[in-house]
Amino acid sequence: MTDILRIRDLKVEFVLPHMRVKAVENVSFRIGAQETVALVGESGSGKTTISQAIMGLLPKSAQITGGSIIFADPKKPGTRVDIAMLDRSGSEMRAIRGGRISMIFQEPMSSLSPLHTIGDQICEAVRLHRKVGSSEARELAREMLALVGFPNPKRSLKTYPFELSGGLRQRAMIAMAMVCHPALLVADEPTTALDVTIQAQTLRLIKDVQAELQMSVLLITHDLGVVANMADRMVVVYDGRVVESGRTEDVFINAGHPYTRSLLAAVPHFDMGPNERLRPLRDIKPKIDGLLAYCDDKKTAVTATMDEGEVPAALALHPTMASEPVLAVRHLNKSFSVRKGNWFNSEEQAIPAVADVSLTVNRGECVGLVGESGCGKTTLSKLIMRAMAPDSGSILFRGESGQMTELVGLDEDQLNPYRKRIQFVFQDPFASLNPRMTVQDIITEPLLIHGIGDATYRKKMVLELMEVVGLDPRFLNRYPHSFSGGERQRIGIARALSLKPDLLIFDEPTSALDVSVQAQILNLLKDLQRDLKLTYLFISHNLAVVDYIADRIAVMCAGRIVESAPREQLFRNPIHPYTQALLNAVPFADLEHLLDFTKIVDGKASDPHRWPAPFTIDAQSDPRMVQFAEDHFVRAARADSQEIAI
Amino acid sequence: MLTFLARRLFVMIPTLFFISVLVFVIIQLPPGDFLSTYLNELQAQGEAVDPAKIAFLKQQYGLDQPIWLQYIDWAWGLLHGDLGFSFEYNLPVTEVVGDRLWLSMVLNLSTVVFIYIVSFPIGIYSATRQYSWGDYGFTLLGFLGLAMPNFLFALILLYYANVVFGTSIGGLMDPEFINQGWSFAKAMSVAEHLWAPVLVIGTSGTASMIRRLRANLLDELGKQYVVTAHAKGLSPTRVLFKYPLRMALNPFIADIGNILPQVVSGSVLVSVVMSLPTTGPMLLTALQSQDMYLAGSFLMFLALLTVIGMFVSDLLLAWLDPRIRLQGGVSQ
Repeated sequence: MTDILRIRDLKVEFVLPHMRVKAVENVSFRIGAQETVALVGESGSGKTTISQAIMGLLPKSAQITGGSIIFADPKKPGTRVDIAMLDRSGSEMRAIRGGRISMIFQEPMSSLSPLHTIGDQICEAVRLHRKVGSSEARELAREMLALVGFPNPKRSLKTYPFELSGGLRQRAMIAMAMVCHPALLVADEPTTALDVTIQAQTLRLIKDVQAELQMSVLLITHDLGVVANMADRMVVVYDGRVVESGRTEDVFINAGHPYTRSLLAAVPHFDMGPNERLRPLRDIKPKIDGLLAYCDDKKTAVTATMDEGEVPAALALHPTMASEPVLAVRHLNKSFSVRKGNWFNSEEQAIPAVADVSLTVNRGECVGLVGESGCGKTTLSKLIMRAMAPDSGSILFRGESGQMTELVGLDEDQLNPYRKRIQFVFQDPFASLNPRMTVQDIITEPLLIHGIGDATYRKKMVLELMEVVGLDPRFLNRYPHSFSGGERQRIGIARALSLKPDLLIFDEPTSALDVSVQAQILNLLKDLQRDLKLTYLFISHNLAVVDYIADRIAVMCAGRIVESAPREQLFRNPIHPYTQALLNAVPFADLEHLLDFTKIVDGKASDPHRWPAPFTIDAQSDPRMVQFAEDHFVRAARADSQEIAI
Repeated sequence: MLTFLARRLFVMIPTLFFISVLVFVIIQLPPGDFLSTYLNELQAQGEAVDPAKIAFLKQQYGLDQPIWLQYIDWAWGLLHGDLGFSFEYNLPVTEVVGDRLWLSMVLNLSTVVFIYIVSFPIGIYSATRQYSWGDYGFTLLGFLGLAMPNFLFALILLYYANVVFGTSIGGLMDPEFINQGWSFAKAMSVAEHLWAPVLVIGTSGTASMIRRLRANLLDELGKQYVVTAHAKGLSPTRVLFKYPLRMALNPFIADIGNILPQVVSGSVLVSVVMSLPTTGPMLLTALQSQDMYLAGSFLMFLALLTVIGMFVSDLLLAWLDPRIRLQGGVSQ
């Protein structure tokens, strides 16, 4: 079997006004016919540059300074084209690009033009590379949409991308790339932006189409779970060089290069022992003393003097109520209204974002909240922060006095004392720090706002916080732009810690970070929680991450919590169909637990109408949470059991 | 789409109503009216004025009536195409304005067309060849056009046309056609004279339009869907015209509504300098002498241009951009 693509000693340089930067150096690998090769590396490793070189899509400032990219088209046996030598926008390269090698991109939201219909954009690709008329092109596009699983391909031709969901857009993108039956598909992080169930469906689709059209796939990804499930061979790149390549099994079982080994060790997986730690490339050793440690003493003092009788009756149902709840959310509801119709008779349609959510977080505990995008988990966190007001329900929070206080209905002034007790760490480390403030200003701002301490106290606090998150205190006068994503996230954590909060809410704190940095941050959070007795509410879509950090996990779907259980129990014995679908869809970086693609059902597992009884939620039945085992609750209709708050 | 159109048209009615009220109030704001100004002038010249005559004139022109009645009279007239009576010229406004309205329209429309025709290719060139010599050159010219006052440019042009070519480029037609009926020769003469004022008035608009198109297009060129289009194997020109350019058009079209009144009011000074028979200079004198119906008609004309311009740009936007067409009714 001949190779479709052979890259030898590829060198790419970026020519900047004052310097040349080597992005890719002496990269060599090959892709066989009908083979899937994964190009693995962290951000900045040069993997995207390699894919751009193959597609002839390098930016203007990039130059191929050496090596070759030999493309042997199986349709024209015997011919070999060196893509590295072709004019990037010449007709020969254009015939290959999109016709024989096509590409799908990471962002399904932005990679299709919003002004043109799906049909228009697919037909354009067809007519560009095949000599067909417009009606024939439409027919081919329709066939392709049917192949990638569009429910109504004929009508979908006339839809605009913004009318489709993220998963369907990525399918449309795949259809567009496949419609000319290319010999090689370059997939640049094709599922990174998708939810885990949609990711599994998309991966299955790529596999199916690959078999159907007999093509090769170059999969560019940082997700070793995807690699384990998709790739025949893998190529690991680091800093523009290939550090290891080989059959996926060989690399996974017996990684030769230390970088590959550390990458594999940094991925959280489900069968980790209770005390097993991730091993990031660079570990942080937080140093804790002085001010923050004092805050810890105070908390234990409060706990000791607490009266058992003050736990509200509604909470006493919870079996682990022996420990002290910091936050108790009860039957919380929030809906957004959407205006439909025309100017004269508009009707308000209420869309529930959070429906009947009950959740308890105990002192010193980490509760994980898992759900796909749009399930309402961020809205829930905003409600808890009282950044918005709920429609109904109650939020009880234990303030400084040690009493549970109802936060719903308090006005801005009354809320102020609680604002400093709950702190938030955001998803995007780049957007959440003001670029015009120094690190010192960023970390002390909460203290200034709440008027805590004097200048010496603040100075001491900042220095200590920097030590705690493992940053050099000499960096205090720098601005956020001089830090990497992981370091910025640590600054965000330091800012959140500065007020010594009772509850820290993390909204996807590691989803924008590379795996090794993610491991670093997760370990830091674990250490801080242990040493400072912190209480976390950890929101994430990544089950493995939540599994690693959380003690108890609540699964959220369509605004409701559908299952909640201690960590081990949820993964060992998931009861709710949605939890099962989620668990079935997670690609493990483990060759012994490959995805069972036959179990992945198309269509949304997150549609409450389609869940089987007794889990169905529709107009007729609106089940409540019922207890299945100790501390294990599921939203299901069961006549014999009464509703129990979690 | 039909409901959108109907709604959009319906909204224009109250808008125009409020504008007309506003225009009328603003004209009435300075103390006195045309008659008192006229009287002062006569008295200053030492002429005796018969109070009975004044009262008669006041009644004749309806100036003794309460302001809201005056407004209703005026607005009712407007609806029937009766623009009122100019005190200063002692003629109906329609006759005073005469060809000026049409000439202004022709001049301003040609200016808008000029702005679009010139700025479009230059903007595209500048964006696609960012930081090239050509881009820098056009940028320099653009800043010159923006920085130089229009009337100064008009003066320079007038001077050099006279000194170098020995021709006068003032006015909108050869002198022999002024106050003549419309003929083919007169139209040709207008066409011959049009280029100079169009160039003068259009320069700054063109310059700012180039800057805007360049910035918009640069933003769009970096977008992911452009890379997708390239990845399909489309030729660079087709990619440019089908995808990013189409997206960059939005602010361009949204500008139509703004550009019309801008051009009209911006051309007043130029019209004075180049002695163009357009509405601008006449509006100025009408406002000075409190010739209320004449000034009101001009202001309403400007307002109408703005509202129509906005309507046209809204229609074009909805037609061009499916996101506006299909998502317009949904809001949070």
